[in-house]
Amino acid sequence: MILQQFLLLAAALFSVGLYGALSQQSIVMIMMGLELMANAVIVAASAYWYFASPSRPDGQVVVVVALVLMAVDMAIGFAVTTAIFRRRDVDMTDSAADLKG
Amino acid sequence: MWAHIAFWVCAVGSVVTGVAVFRVDSMARATFALLASFVFAAGTVLLLNLAYLGVLVILMMIMEMVVMVVFMIMYMMNPAGLMPMTMVHNQKGSLAIAGAVFAALAAGIFLIPWPTSGEPRPEDTTRALGEALMGSKMLVMMVLGLCLFATMVATVVLAAHRGRYDRYGDRLDAKRPHDPVRGGLNR
Amino acid sequence: MTLWLLIALPFLAGTALLVSGHRADRLAPWAGIATAAVTAVLAIVAAVSAPEVSMPFLAGLRIGLGVDGLSAVMVVTVAVVLVAVLVFAAGEFGAAESRARFHGLMLVFAGAMLVTVTARDLIVLLMAWEVVGACSYALIGFWWREERRAGSGVVAFLTTRAGDLGLYLAAGAALAGGVGGLTLAGLPAAAGGWRDAVAAGLVLAALGKSAQLPFSFWLSRAMDGPSPVSALLHSATMVAAGAYLLLRVEPLLAVTGWAATATAWIGVLTALVLGAIAVAQRDLKQVLAASTCSQIGFMVLAAGTGGVAAGTGQLVAHAATKSLLFLGAGAWLVALDTKDLARLKGAARRFPVLGSVFTVGALTLAGIPPLSIWVTKDAVLASALAGSPALYVVGLAAALLSGAYVGRVLAVLWLPAEPDAVRPLNAWLLGPLPVLALAATVLGIVGLPGPARWFATLLGAAEVPETSWLELVVSGALAIAGALAAASWTRAEKLAAPGLFAGWLGLERLTRLVVVTPTVRLADGLARFDDRVVDGGVRAAAATAGALARLTDLRVEWSIEGAVRAVARAARSLGRQAPRPQTGQLHHYYAQAAVGLGVLVLLLIVL
Repeated sequence: MILQQFLLLAAALFSVGLYGALSQQSIVMIMMGLELMANAVIVAASAYWYFASPSRPDGQVVVVVALVLMAVDMAIGFAVTTAIFRRRDVDMTDSAADLKG
Repeated sequence: MWAHIAFWVCAVGSVVTGVAVFRVDSMARATFALLASFVFAAGTVLLLNLAYLGVLVILMMIMEMVVMVVFMIMYMMNPAGLMPMTMVHNQKGSLAIAGAVFAALAAGIFLIPWPTSGEPRPEDTTRALGEALMGSKMLVMMVLGLCLFATMVATVVLAAHRGRYDRYGDRLDAKRPHDPVRGGLNR
Repeated sequence: MTLWLLIALPFLAGTALLVSGHRADRLAPWAGIATAAVTAVLAIVAAVSAPEVSMPFLAGLRIGLGVDGLSAVMVVTVAVVLVAVLVFAAGEFGAAESRARFHGLMLVFAGAMLVTVTARDLIVLLMAWEVVGACSYALIGFWWREERRAGSGVVAFLTTRAGDLGLYLAAGAALAGGVGGLTLAGLPAAAGGWRDAVAAGLVLAALGKSAQLPFSFWLSRAMDGPSPVSALLHSATMVAAGAYLLLRVEPLLAVTGWAATATAWIGVLTALVLGAIAVAQRDLKQVLAASTCSQIGFMVLAAGTGGVAAGTGQLVAHAATKSLLFLGAGAWLVALDTKDLARLKGAARRFPVLGSVFTVGALTLAGIPPLSIWVTKDAVLASALAGSPALYVVGLAAALLSGAYVGRVLAVLWLPAEPDAVRPLNAWLLGPLPVLALAATVLGIVGLPGPARWFATLLGAAEVPETSWLELVVSGALAIAGALAAASWTRAEKLAAPGLFAGWLGLERLTRLVVVTPTVRLADGLARFDDRVVDGGVRAAAATAGALARLTDLRVEWSIEGAVRAVARAARSLGRQAPRPQTGQLHHYYAQAAVGLGVLVLLLIVL
């Protein structure tokens, strides 16, 4: 087990998540893409900790932060979806083009 | 030896299920595919002797996915996937960008001389994490706590259907609240 | 002091009257006569005391005035005639005329004339000479609303001015010839060739001003002025100024041999030819004008032959006589409104007083003994004889002719009168005439041996040639004979037919042809040259500048402007492109962020 294979895994997960975030129309699906990207970060951080600085707990702390981030973004995302659904009865990002121009 | 095999199984599984998230028609299936991806990723973390973090990821993700399923079915058009549909925009562009990013990252991974450390690995990683979070990384703990609190408040504010401001106006200066049912619900 | 006052008084009074204009019209005759009277008194005082003044002019150059013998005589002459003429003018001009202008000009003229005859050097002389010429122009053209009279003023002025070029030439030559201070007395001392130039210039100027041949025609035109003007300027003073100048510089003429000879011959020929012209005239004032030229010819002859005393005597006598005659003609003009001899028939019978005084003057003019001009003319002829016999003979012929024209005029005037409308003559008009007649008669005593010597000493002249009784008898007899012959011819109704002499030898036409027309043509040509070439050059420069400007505007400006506009266009289109990334679509923003971050990371790694 070497660092590069973990990082490769992380890169693959990241790319898949990026594809999802960019191409999906539904808010929830976009959020799933974001989750995958955070997942990639978790894997990469763990690998870095294990191979580059195992004596220090900093890598683990990064993982914890990434976890919290995942939770938080999920919560906020759903709150926003609820709010916009209540207002406009839509859940597609294409309709939320208020920032156009 | 086993570690290698386990690793590759977990890795491939994670990526495949990740792709599957965006390929299946049913929302529920998408959610659970995501869960599977997370579980496989956590498996690789476990292989790195990070027991606590791996288990944490699995548990958290299970809860999250279950919650997400509920929301999915609430909001989305085709929850059961009875109709085949893909709702994407800019697919080619996204593929291009994603592919470019993967290529760049892969190139970077194999070309960069990563540092190695000969330091001894700690026996109890969990203990080390706990001591760090409660000790030298207390700031991180606090910030995370505040962050969570802020999130809670924000979600409640966003998700509440009608609040004080809807009832009493922007400056809270209306004499009587505007309610669809006089007296408000759940008084 | 006296001299300054003498000069300044008429000048200031005249200028004040001129400046006041029509406001001073009522006051003008009184002011004029009073000023003239005071000037006359001052002139007599100056003549007796002989003062001299000078003042600095330029660096190292002093100019001055002085009254010596000749100047004394002239000064008194000018002042007395001025008084007489201004008294007459007070009577002639009515309330409708511009009396202030007239009297002002007359006084300014008198001031300038006084400066001319007292000038010690060429600079003062020149300045005063010019002022005299200008006043003459203004006075001849006094009734300027009639175009012919204004034209006459111009002819007179231009002709005398052309002669004045001689004075400028003389001044320049004198300066070059090293005459100290340009004094008139120092002129004979100029260096060789320059002295000739000085003499030539002075002679030319004098001939022009005195209306000698070939300049005589301007005096004919000058008769278009009022009679007082003719009396003062064109008989007694201004035309005599030329003769005065020649008398003054007679030493220079004598030293420069040719100048004296030429002057003498021109003088005597003028006397002869103009006498003939006078016989042929039909207009009383024209007769008098021709006669003036003729008599001044005698003065010029005297100057040419060295008879300064004779010439001066002739000058004084002629001044009194001719001013009297002109004033008489002016009086008849006022009374009968004509100066045509044919219409003046019998005018002397109708106005007995005027007629008798006029007759006295006319007889004096003819040189009938024992009146003044007989004596003075004879003195001139004596000095001519001393010069050359030919001059004497021609002079006698001229004397014969002067008798002839006088005889003719008197015959016409004393013919039986035809009744016609008359205007009464007032005392102003008649008053000065007897005084002048008396002077004309009496001045002959300077011919007597005793007074003649005193006169000569006064003038500082050389020994005067004695006039023999034979000469006196001869000239007197000739004058009488000429007068009687002309009178009988006239009575026989054989008035002279108009011919070459009647037209003043066509001198004016000739001058116009020879001098005026070429000058005007030259001026035209130069003007055209200026317009086409010089102005054309300027206009071409301006046009070139304009064309260059247009070219720049068209081509250069266009390309510069084009560049500027292209820049603006580019900016505008960039501005229009700028909001395009802002689609409002979330996925676009994500994609942009991903690409942007990727680029940044690559940059970070590469750099």
